[in-house]
Amino acid sequence: MRQHPKQLFGGKPVMAFRDELSRRNFLKGAAVIGVGATLATRYSVDRVAMAQASAGDLEILNYALTLEYLEADFYAQGLEAGVLADRELELVTPIGDHEQTHVDTLTSTISDLGGTPVESPQFTYPDGTFESRDAFLETASIFEELGVTAYHGQVAAIESPELLAAAASIAGSESRHAAIIAELLGMRPFPESTVEASATMEEVLAAAMPFIEGGSS
Amino acid sequence: MTGRTVNRRAIVKGAAAAIPAAVALNMLGTKWAFAQSADFEGPIDVLNFALTLEYLEAEFYRQGNEMVPLEGREAELLGFIAQDEATHVSILTDTIMQLGGEPVPAPGVDFGEAFANRDAYLELAYVFENTGVSAYLGAAPSLFEEKELLSAAASIFGVEARHAAIIGNLQGKPAEGGVYLTAFESPTPPADVLQAVSPFITDAAAMQRDAAVTK
Repeated sequence: MRQHPKQLFGGKPVMAFRDELSRRNFLKGAAVIGVGATLATRYSVDRVAMAQASAGDLEILNYALTLEYLEADFYAQGLEAGVLADRELELVTPIGDHEQTHVDTLTSTISDLGGTPVESPQFTYPDGTFESRDAFLETASIFEELGVTAYHGQVAAIESPELLAAAASIAGSESRHAAIIAELLGMRPFPESTVEASATMEEVLAAAMPFIEGGSS
Repeated sequence: MTGRTVNRRAIVKGAAAAIPAAVALNMLGTKWAFAQSADFEGPIDVLNFALTLEYLEAEFYRQGNEMVPLEGREAELLGFIAQDEATHVSILTDTIMQLGGEPVPAPGVDFGEAFANRDAYLELAYVFENTGVSAYLGAAPSLFEEKELLSAAASIFGVEARHAAIIGNLQGKPAEGGVYLTAFESPTPPADVLQAVSPFITDAAAMQRDAAVTK
């Protein structure tokens, strides 16, 4: 059963989301057990070091999962709509696959670490988002840049080196996506500042809220 | 937190096994050889490692954009990338100095036939960018305790990933396995990175002098 966003976000935008996650993590993550098999396999990290994850890290993982749900859903719908062709379709199709892979990996990682993966909210997009190539790619650009800044905003907060490596490896692929989408739109594919920007959880969730059913901007 | 020391050692152990000592000593100087065998000495060493790579990239694009005729969007994108790498050199140099460290000098470089034509130029660019991405990811654990430096390095890493994707796209590489390298970036241990770039470095004497000072 999908959780209604009102429940997920506690009926209040953004801060309530954090409260809800914090509550979950307090209950489910306070005594975390288990081994991070997914990440341990991928990165050959020390399994002892993976045996514990802080409540803060689980919150960050669930936050990342929420954003990846959004991206995965968005590309699934957009690619199904069939507004792209040729090289553009070839370039965007793997992005959709990657976002779903990120969802799957984050979900299993959270579980492996003894946490509870958040359920996917239901998403909503402005009318016409999937009716034209331009609208689809312009929205994609928003999500990709948002995702990049979201990951970079959490770098300093992640408490486990292994999870940092995993999050960074995802963030790098999001940067590639962001660059390619920008290039398809004829925009500058690199940040003016020459480095990736970052954004806080509050900023990112406020930006994502209009796309979450029952959320508000 | 548990496991940080263990993890660092595990990474270093892998690195030490991966590189022939002679390569490290001859090509890159004793300072780097030490880094390979016993971990980075501290955050400044990590930043100097990154600085060496950025020097290499910055000089590569400076020479390449002068010597290789490019047009239109391609020229524009390569111009952006060259600017980015030069700025990354400045950022890292300034950061090292602010920390009271000594930035390594720019290495001597030789890119061989890479500027013979557009295709050769872009192919080596593609290699350098993807090496850079994996290098930052491989070095990141060594900056883990230094949150500001970690964030700064990550913010450069992301832009290197953008470069890699854009270069691969200019080359018309397949989307998956060319423009993107799966849903995850892969780390490369510092020693492997140094080995990969060592053919392009001709003069590590400056580094050796630097090592003599710091040892």
